[in-house]
Amino acid sequence: MAILEMKAVTREYHKGEQVVHALRGVDLTIEKGAFLSIVGPSGSGKSTLLNIIGCLDSPTGGEVVYNGTLLGSMSENALADYRKNHIAFIFQSYNLIPVLTVRENVELPLVIEKKWSRDQMREKAMAVLKAVELDSMAGRLPKELSGGQEQRVAIARALVKQPLVVLADEPTANLDSKTAENIISIMQRLNTEQQTTFIFSTHDKLMEQHARRVVVLHDGQIASDSRKEG
Amino acid sequence: MLLKIALRNLLRHKRRTFFSAITIAVGMLFFIAMDSIMAGMDRGAIDNMVALRTAAIRLQTRQYAEEQDALPLKYGIDNFESIRSNLLKDKRIKGVTGRTRFIGQMSIYTDMKPIIGTVIEPATDSTVFSLRDYIEGAYFSEGNEREILLGKDLAEELGLNVGDYVTLYAMTRYDSHNADDFKIIGVVATTDPVINGSGVFISQAGGDSFLDLEGLRTDVMVGVHRKVNLRDFLKEIRAVQSTIHTAYPDLIAQNVLEQEAGFFEIAKSKRGFGMVFLAVILLIAGVGIFNTVLMSVYERIREIGVLRAFGLRQGEMTRLFLIEGAVTGIFGVALGLALGTVVNVLLVKYGYPLDKLAGDAMGDFPIWGTIYGEWNFRVWLAVSFFAIVVATIAGYIPARKAGSMEIISTLRFF
Repeated sequence: MAILEMKAVTREYHKGEQVVHALRGVDLTIEKGAFLSIVGPSGSGKSTLLNIIGCLDSPTGGEVVYNGTLLGSMSENALADYRKNHIAFIFQSYNLIPVLTVRENVELPLVIEKKWSRDQMREKAMAVLKAVELDSMAGRLPKELSGGQEQRVAIARALVKQPLVVLADEPTANLDSKTAENIISIMQRLNTEQQTTFIFSTHDKLMEQHARRVVVLHDGQIASDSRKEG
Repeated sequence: MLLKIALRNLLRHKRRTFFSAITIAVGMLFFIAMDSIMAGMDRGAIDNMVALRTAAIRLQTRQYAEEQDALPLKYGIDNFESIRSNLLKDKRIKGVTGRTRFIGQMSIYTDMKPIIGTVIEPATDSTVFSLRDYIEGAYFSEGNEREILLGKDLAEELGLNVGDYVTLYAMTRYDSHNADDFKIIGVVATTDPVINGSGVFISQAGGDSFLDLEGLRTDVMVGVHRKVNLRDFLKEIRAVQSTIHTAYPDLIAQNVLEQEAGFFEIAKSKRGFGMVFLAVILLIAGVGIFNTVLMSVYERIREIGVLRAFGLRQGEMTRLFLIEGAVTGIFGVALGLALGTVVNVLLVKYGYPLDKLAGDAMGDFPIWGTIYGEWNFRVWLAVSFFAIVVATIAGYIPARKAGSMEIISTLRFF
């Protein structure tokens, strides 16, 4: 079942009088529960594609249908609500809120959702922190953690509201290989157990090896789209 | 959680938050101190006027009230004793006495000075006024009609001492000229510079013989028991005035504020200046808060991006930064109230030495010596509210900027 359909999506930017074609007619369908890697050289359109998938940017042409909903005509607030209810992000540089503890950072998406009691939020945050093996560090501030621990907190924050789609930007870029393996295995486990769709951009060969589908972008177009068996 | 983020961010930049808040606090401190001193001056002035010049309420005939600038001696209160005994039945009234002012000249043979004299009843004046408490020398003796009390500064200016004689010239009640010598039995050094500089007092017996008053009093002066709180005191005075007006509709009853309306208008305009002063300081504080919130917005661009990416709406983002501005304002107000309380305790307890600090600059202001502060919580409340509103408005523009930023430009996502 397709969770996301992109039809002839284009995105143009204007730099002075010059027009930059970041995406040129991208057609892409992503199924629920996908573990998909987007790869390609710098300037190939990976960022633009993920911005559009994440509802952070709008295409200049074509249409994006998310779980049956056409996003093109949505207002700013409706897009914010869509992100709030269905999408979560894992950032390359973690982007944890420095003044909040580990647990509070994880609770943040639930606070924004505004549908949980304080106890429920705490319970959910602690459960997901346990899943990434950081429940013992719940009371610490981000500055007290290592890079790998920060990224696991970022994963916990992305997963706590059980989103349809998790978008990850180079999630292992700043990690050593052992920690990267650990992070990938956590993402795979959650992908398998909860059918959460993972879409990540990466230059990391290890990450690419674990993806079940790899989309290669070149000059704003899909150069190849390969799937692995199993 | 938004409040928590706002509070922790403010705490993270303690020094910056403190300096923004301290501007508000200093503004409030100055205003509280200034308002306290001004209220104290008003209180002191009213106390002085009531105790030395105007009494709480003054009754005059309608004709006298219309021509009182000329101080005519032909419109006296006819049934003075009856009015007095009737008014004294009211428990709120502490005393009733008669006073009559007259225009004349005072000569010391080498110099002559125009004066406005006051005829007082020695026996009952002290039930309304406290003139007697300020006398250096003696008070009026019974039967001696040619005794006079002078203001201390007036006596010094003319080189006069207790025991010296002066000659008074004045028009009598029947428009004939009269002149006579009076012995200075005392000088009055009050807390009212006007009385010190120009006060001339003779007794009712002296006035009867010198001005042909024949027991006439132009003014019935009514004393009302003092209350600690000025607002309560004025309320009581107005209530008594209303009772008197009902009982004696043909007479004009004026309270202290009405008698000295010119002075209180000036006092009001001084308070207006205080408000302008406060507004300028809060404007400066507002610029500080604007800058603080703007710096906070630029420092936390990525944080803004993260929150927006997780679905925080533009309005909610604006609210987050508005909270920071408002909390800075509340902190400043709390600090200002704390400092203001400390300073006001000192002002109320030890006072403000107006005579030492202002010198001659006070002119005819009807108060002298040390002024004591007043507690004015209504003004404090209003100023606190105003300061928080200024802080919130100052934070609004940068907060709105934070809310309207494009997410991809804040996040540099992917």
